[in-house]
Amino acid sequence: VGSTDNYPADPEYQRPPPPETTGNTDQMPTIFEELQARAAKRWDELTSGESAWIRVGGGTSGQAVGADAVFDAFKSSVESTGVNANVSMVSAMGLMYLEPQVDVLMPNGSRVFYGNVEPEEAQTIVEQHVKNGEPLIDRAYAYSGGDGSGVGNLPELSSLPMVALQHRIATRNFGETDPHDLLQYVANGGYQALNRALTEMTPEEIVDEVKAAGLRGRGGAAFPAGVKWSFLAPSTAPVKYVLCNCEEGDPGAFNDKGIIENDPHTLVEGLIINGYATRSTHGYIFIRTGHELPIESVRKAIAAAYEAELLGKNILGSDFSFDMEVSLTGDSYVAGEETALMEAIEGKRATPRFKPPFPAAAGLWQKPTNINNVKTLAYVPEIVRNGSDWFKSIGTETTSGTAIVCLSGHITYPGMYEVPMGMTIREVLEKIGGGVSEGERIKVLQAGGPLNGLLGEEAFDTMIDFDAMSAAGASIGSGGIIVGNETTDVVDLLRSLIAFNQFESCGKCFPCRLGNTHMLEILDRMCQNKAKSADLALLERVGTSMKAGSLCGHGQLGFNPIASALKYFGDEIISTLAGEIAPGGVYGDGTMILPTRTRP
Amino acid sequence: MADGTTFKIDGQEVTAKPGQTILQAAMDQDIYIPYLCYYPKMKPQGSCRACMVEVEANGRTMTVASCTTPPMPDAEVATNTDAVKELRRDIIELLMTEHPHGCLTCHRIELCGPQDICQRHVTVTDRCTICPKNERCELKDTVRLVELDLRTPLNYHRRDLPIHADDPFYDRDYNLCIVCSRCVRVCDEIRFDTALTLTSRSGVSLVGTSHGTSLLESGCEFCGACVDVCPTGALTEREYKWEKAFTEVTTVCTNCPVGCQMIVEVNKFGKVIRFKGDLGGAANNGQACMTGKFGYEYTNDSKRLKRPYVREGGILRKATWDEALERIKQGLGDRAASELAVITSPRGSNEDQFIAAKFASSVLKTPNIDSALNSNSALLSRLEERLGAGAATNPIWDIENSKSLLVVAGNPTEEQNVLSVPAKKAVREGAKLVVIDSRETELTRYAAEWLRPKPGSEALLIAGISRAILDEALENKEFVGSRIENGEELKQSLWTFDLAKVSRDTGIEDAQIRRAARIFAESDAGAILLGNDGLYTAAAEHLVDAVVDLAAITGNIGKASGGIFPLYQGANTLGARDMGATPGENGLDISGMIAGMSRGEVKAALVMADGVSGYSPTLTGLPSALEKLEFLVVSAALDSEITHHADVVLPAATYAEQNSTVTNVERRVQMIRITAETKHEEKTGWETIAAIGNAMGGSGLDFASSSEVFAEITGNIPNYAGMSHESLQSGGIQWPLASSETSNGSDSSMLFADPESMVAVVTLDYAELAQSIESSALTFAPGRVLSQPERDVVVRKPADMNYVDREQLVQIHPDDAKAAGLNEGDMIQVKTDDDHVLVRGRAVFESPQAGLVGSTTLFGELATRMHELDAADWSPQMPGLGYSAVTLESAPAEQEAGAAAD
Repeated sequence: VGSTDNYPADPEYQRPPPPETTGNTDQMPTIFEELQARAAKRWDELTSGESAWIRVGGGTSGQAVGADAVFDAFKSSVESTGVNANVSMVSAMGLMYLEPQVDVLMPNGSRVFYGNVEPEEAQTIVEQHVKNGEPLIDRAYAYSGGDGSGVGNLPELSSLPMVALQHRIATRNFGETDPHDLLQYVANGGYQALNRALTEMTPEEIVDEVKAAGLRGRGGAAFPAGVKWSFLAPSTAPVKYVLCNCEEGDPGAFNDKGIIENDPHTLVEGLIINGYATRSTHGYIFIRTGHELPIESVRKAIAAAYEAELLGKNILGSDFSFDMEVSLTGDSYVAGEETALMEAIEGKRATPRFKPPFPAAAGLWQKPTNINNVKTLAYVPEIVRNGSDWFKSIGTETTSGTAIVCLSGHITYPGMYEVPMGMTIREVLEKIGGGVSEGERIKVLQAGGPLNGLLGEEAFDTMIDFDAMSAAGASIGSGGIIVGNETTDVVDLLRSLIAFNQFESCGKCFPCRLGNTHMLEILDRMCQNKAKSADLALLERVGTSMKAGSLCGHGQLGFNPIASALKYFGDEIISTLAGEIAPGGVYGDGTMILPTRTRP
Repeated sequence: MADGTTFKIDGQEVTAKPGQTILQAAMDQDIYIPYLCYYPKMKPQGSCRACMVEVEANGRTMTVASCTTPPMPDAEVATNTDAVKELRRDIIELLMTEHPHGCLTCHRIELCGPQDICQRHVTVTDRCTICPKNERCELKDTVRLVELDLRTPLNYHRRDLPIHADDPFYDRDYNLCIVCSRCVRVCDEIRFDTALTLTSRSGVSLVGTSHGTSLLESGCEFCGACVDVCPTGALTEREYKWEKAFTEVTTVCTNCPVGCQMIVEVNKFGKVIRFKGDLGGAANNGQACMTGKFGYEYTNDSKRLKRPYVREGGILRKATWDEALERIKQGLGDRAASELAVITSPRGSNEDQFIAAKFASSVLKTPNIDSALNSNSALLSRLEERLGAGAATNPIWDIENSKSLLVVAGNPTEEQNVLSVPAKKAVREGAKLVVIDSRETELTRYAAEWLRPKPGSEALLIAGISRAILDEALENKEFVGSRIENGEELKQSLWTFDLAKVSRDTGIEDAQIRRAARIFAESDAGAILLGNDGLYTAAAEHLVDAVVDLAAITGNIGKASGGIFPLYQGANTLGARDMGATPGENGLDISGMIAGMSRGEVKAALVMADGVSGYSPTLTGLPSALEKLEFLVVSAALDSEITHHADVVLPAATYAEQNSTVTNVERRVQMIRITAETKHEEKTGWETIAAIGNAMGGSGLDFASSSEVFAEITGNIPNYAGMSHESLQSGGIQWPLASSETSNGSDSSMLFADPESMVAVVTLDYAELAQSIESSALTFAPGRVLSQPERDVVVRKPADMNYVDREQLVQIHPDDAKAAGLNEGDMIQVKTDDDHVLVRGRAVFESPQAGLVGSTTLFGELATRMHELDAADWSPQMPGLGYSAVTLESAPAEQEAGAAAD
């Protein structure tokens, strides 16, 4: 389990020799200024030249529904029509119900957005919109920019509730830039934070800034990131690691992968700043094997960053050197546990270590280590660029910033939305998500991954905020919210969640290895109407020993779904147990395809 | 971690040693906290969660696993609150759902006696009484401790897996496994073999072999460490599997010079039923090896010789001791000293050796006495001349902290197994290993540099390394300046060792010689494991000279984790030398005696045959030589090819039937303790020889007990002065005892520890060292390794047992192939001069040297052979990796498919 992927291939990467310096060096543009100049030129070519710019939303969400074919269709249509237009595959906007989506930016600055585009429509759009300047109003869903003429009664993009209610920080470039183009990232303010950090700030100042911003870890535990960094920073060890965790195995969560595949440089920049602030020497981005797009995307970003002297020896001419590589694991959910992740990078079985020692003392290869979630790091460039006060002003008192919510299930507008902390769940569900998609009402939410709770309707007015959510018995966790309508059977849903947890238990500690197996067995019994009267007590007893006795969060949190379900759906569970209502709502007959490796 | 953290466990104040966890600190105070995955000397794991305790510190109360949590100052640890007890009980209850436990939770348990017939409340497969570990099961103890009641039981699932009884020596029944991973971890952390691994995950996580097949190809060295640590019946020794221990005795293994301290389990009939490495053993630190763990049972054999026999009319008939002694008196008496020989047992105690030496000199008056496995005599005697002791300069477990290691012409993994454990540990911790050996051994797989020289050129190569060290000024100048007597002369002599010349004569590139030199000289502490396999006397002496000089110029003498460790054979060969059971003036050594017998010059002999086998490389000629004797007395525990030629056979007591002492490679004198009284007329070695001596009119041979013999030893042998059986009771003493005026009579774990002591080096002569280079055209250097993951292995199971089945490869050099008219890929055979086929297989051009022929087999194949051997005492028959002069030829077509011959 787990393999390290040595990238870039040549650690002794040789830069081209610096240009001969003559005369007054103060006049010379810095490496970063040169990069910015190139980026600005590139961006100008794309956005304010003679050409139109056709952007096809890519990413997993787009490509899964045919964005590649759409992109190819537009390319060939532009070629055959002979219009002056650039066609780019850019990042996904996050409005996944509209994929594949395409927008056309005309030289006059007017931009029109089309959703659910079929490849066959490319020719028409190119001919009518790009060539003749007549957008297909009926096929479009919004516009932006320009003088507002020629777009009929299309709404402005920013007036759509699912856009208006967002506050995009980590996802600021979504739908705007090509994730594989460093220059586009730089043109939109990218790497300014790193440049500022290296030229104007000491590592201590950055740690203080992150502390002051109130940035809390987005991996689930919500530990203040700046405080975590300050554990590592003082160590004078010659080798120190900063790791980025993108194992992201939670069903219903795709924001880490989303950030990596749609805007990898924001993560790379965040991790370099993390490295500088903690005076670390190496960074690893740990991704689960199979997440191909994110892997490819971040590898390209790292290579581009090396090329542009944003990584490697003497970054941007400073005396800070830092290397970064991607490490992959096999299929293992627990590999996302921070110490299991280190074991996996080391090439061992991805099983959690006991703590202490904590990673800041002895982490990867027993060296001092920090580990942060993708989302946490993705905020860092903007915090450094705009200051902690700005970040602190967003969100709630105890949780500043935003939450990146992944909506899926029985919801009208599934997608990935970055909303300020403090918005209620109901607002997200109804205003952004557009309410239940089939059926009559939203009955249950699975929020924050299978180790976190189920929420019933009385909790929908809970603010999205670490503390409010945990008081409600759930967690922001990974940011995934899976919506279930009134047909969702809670016991069956629990069985699915526990089956996932059981299958993914690493098997190291006894309570988790055996407890999950037994909880699944009991739930299975309940689903088949074979429950015994003592089963609820048994579940609770097993759950309690898992919580108190397990080695890592996987076991400690494993009872959460059941505990929260008892809180919100206690009656339904008790009725099922008593045989009063037929279990197995979704599958009706109580059958379920269990993961293959559960005990028969 | 701060040293000496003081905290409280259940109100009792406890001070933890630095680095200790709560559990370890509690164990030191005899406070019992249950645990299943933790094991002493292994890293904590934190799997079983049976050791959960409540800790109150800094105003917070936490429930933590005590095996992984270091104590915080002033913390209050509670091991028995109701909450902790309940949690523990619930966790153990979970565990019971996958472990057969019918008897433990049977409501009749209070009434059910050990031998009662089950009243069928419990299904057969779930009964504790059908578990081999019944009543020595850690799980059972834990279940009782947590007072498991199982009032609302979880469903119990039996795994229903087949039992693996198809590999040698031990059974694996994973139906009983609790996945604590002790076995996996001991194999990895302590033995460094990683033959076992965890498989799969979640509820079906289990233990398996590294390749998922048999132990034979997994890298298993059959040391049994996994069996010793298993808390349940999942891993059990096959022999005496169902036997229960009645008593335990601490003793010392007598199979090799490491001298592992072992816990011996004895059943109520006095049978030795189990050997386990003693965690308190100073020489072995709890470890053992295949021969030590599984090769003990000959003492129980029903074919043990029970009484004396004398030859009459060509057959051996039962006799009384008196008859036998009378015959011996006639047979040995009235002979010239040169016609007599005494061969002592390699397992013979110091008491045996001492009496044998006394008997030879005072009764037989012959100088012809030697210990049977004293085949490394030149190695030991030259070391003694150079360093004052023909033994290791440093303690064995010093090696684990060495920063570099040099292993020369020896195969410790097989012949001094536990010595290789700290060596492998050092390598795991970052030490660089240099192996100088023409054969592929297990340690070559760990080597940073494997120098594979022409056989016989080892000494030259070592001198070349010393020369390279001087070239690069890497010698320890302080040591050379202050502690070497004649350093300048040595340096002068080393200048003649031109590396180009050394490279040409040894066949090792000079760049590699330099790399090896840097590894050894640049490390802080380098230990040398020195064998003399394949070297004749003069060559071995030169090798010792070169090695001592190398150790001296690098300052590795008198330094912790440095030093020289001779790799010799025979458990008590060192003791025999100490006791004077070595050839006297003009006396014959063991090979001289064999030659003398063959020529008819030696006419009568006394052989103490315990552990003596014609399979030992140096004793191959012994059985046929014995045939030529006019008179032979053999003292033996079992019938063998040695007793076949005897005129008188005397029944010998084994290791299990005596209190005596043996001396190991690190000069540690240790006690062998009696586990059972002799049942018939067997006598220990010294008793036997004393009886013979007395019958022949000798004097000074009357002793009431072995401790009296030892008392005489301590009075006569200076290195043993000050010891007694009593003082050896706790763990043994390393000689020499420092004189009481200087250091309170403490023992000498390291020689040359005194910073004032001087080391004498000798000058080296190129021509002399080069003389020993093997002159025969082709030398066969067989290799054996634990695993070869790069080669496919098929494991066959024709009947009940697994067998390794794979094509044999013969590594030859292209030049030699050309000379013999062979091509790569041909089926060839390697033959000795007397037409004995050593190996047959497919030729591969992988030999690094013209003249060197190699072939590597798996240890698993050897384990299978040993396991199947029809000999109760099989460990002396473990074949070593000996060199032979050979020729190559095409294999006859009809035999191509055949496997390798011996």
